[in-house]
Amino acid sequence: MNSTIICTVCPVSCPVDVEWTKEDGVLGIRNHLCKLAGPYVESELFDPRRLLTTSIPVDGGDWPLVSVKTDPPIPKNLMLEAMDEITGVRVKAPIKVGDVLMTDILGTGCNVVATRNVKSA
Amino acid sequence: MGDREFADVAIIGGGPAGLAAAAEAKGAGAERVIMIERDERVGGILNQQVHDGFGTKVFKEALTGPEYSAIYEDRVNERGVETWLKSTVTELTNDRVITVRSERGIETIEAGAVVLAMGCRERTRGAIGTPGTRPAGVYTAGAVQYYMNVSNLAVGRKVVILGSGDIGLIMARRMTLEGAEVVCVAEILPQPSGIAGNIVRCLEDFDIPLYLSTTVVEIHGNERVTGVTLAEVGPKMGEKKGTRRYFDCDTLLLSVGLIPETELANALGLAMSPVTNGAIVDESFHTSAPGIFSCGNVLQVHDVVDYATLEAEKTGIAAAKYAMIGELPETNINVTAGAGLRYVLPATISGGDAIDFTMRPWKEEHDKSVVFKSGGEVLRRMKMPHMEPAGMIRIRVGKGRFKHVVNNEILVEVEE
Repeated sequence: MNSTIICTVCPVSCPVDVEWTKEDGVLGIRNHLCKLAGPYVESELFDPRRLLTTSIPVDGGDWPLVSVKTDPPIPKNLMLEAMDEITGVRVKAPIKVGDVLMTDILGTGCNVVATRNVKSA
Repeated sequence: MGDREFADVAIIGGGPAGLAAAAEAKGAGAERVIMIERDERVGGILNQQVHDGFGTKVFKEALTGPEYSAIYEDRVNERGVETWLKSTVTELTNDRVITVRSERGIETIEAGAVVLAMGCRERTRGAIGTPGTRPAGVYTAGAVQYYMNVSNLAVGRKVVILGSGDIGLIMARRMTLEGAEVVCVAEILPQPSGIAGNIVRCLEDFDIPLYLSTTVVEIHGNERVTGVTLAEVGPKMGEKKGTRRYFDCDTLLLSVGLIPETELANALGLAMSPVTNGAIVDESFHTSAPGIFSCGNVLQVHDVVDYATLEAEKTGIAAAKYAMIGELPETNINVTAGAGLRYVLPATISGGDAIDFTMRPWKEEHDKSVVFKSGGEVLRRMKMPHMEPAGMIRIRVGKGRFKHVVNNEILVEVEE
């Protein structure tokens, strides 16, 4: 099969032409500018995932919110369910970039990780 | 009144461009570098951009805005840049005297070199002349991004977005994730203004409709927005009869473009580009005023923060050199945008160094080339599988190629 998949890894958004079959996977790609397109296209065809980013309220911090991401990216179809899990959680300052704030969300093996430093107020 | 301060390099703005310029100015040997930021934190727009996609060029991975910002914040702190927070520059003179207002009062800084890195602000409803009443519930997309991602405030439950700029698309996803219903995105142009990746990840992933060649012709509601009327537009942007459609909503987000914050530059009388609305600069990002440099979104609107960072790093090094030795390479070669390109930057080069040229095409093109020519000869040809106005193009030309420049003129064009 031939498909065009827009690579969303970076803002350049290469429209990657991909030749693939269900049995043998990706056979070849063209029209991409960097190496990140290969793994992205493969994932988009067989296990589409998204880095879910949102924020969580912080008690006692110099920011009212800490921004977070799922690590690794979660299956695309679970984004809204994951938001339901994250909503209602509160955390305490201080928080450092990379701190794990929730583990194994929805049984996916993905953690929710801080992306901002929040100092104690 | 504070005393007069002296700085080798003063950076106006502590967003991504200011941070990178400050770190590199210090790294290049400037003794005292002061970065002036009007907010209570550095990082600028990155603080509210909690989504990912930053850093793919510089770090070869997709970071979120706050993560990207934290790297440069650490760097300026480690290198010993002085950061003045909650400080607003109210005046800058041609001899590089800066007036700063803060809680401490009014202070002046005399600087050996100044880097303008003030960024952009959003175009508002007033700037696009939307008809209708003046109810609450009309916001710019970036303001709502700040409310949601920094202040923890929600703004509405049912949203129409006018303009398909990247921040509008990102907010369509963000508000959907937070439980609001995004009814649709309307774009007056026949093509999206945001990058293709955001159309996929922010609209298609959530089945949010995008109506092209469509705009808001009326905003309804007295105290609060109750709905909007959309209509299709023809090629000359006139309303097409019989295409009006009413949509219920309590919020209208505007994502209709950015305006460089050039008030300080205008007051200096700098030579400005009518296309980018930023200063005209040479290969060192030096403006027409001696010792005053410009980079980041105040120079040209970037869609990739990495490119703003790279540009600012070069600017910071040049500013430090100017402050220390008082001169820069002479730039006698003029660079002009020809067929197919809105602009090319920098405007002048020396020919003694490799240059990363940045440019934007007028329209979407496939399988064309960007060609650098001088005296009819080709200096460099870059094949472009895909080009669109929403995507800035960055092409490096090695210094060896400039040996063949004739009459100090380079023309950059899109060709078959």
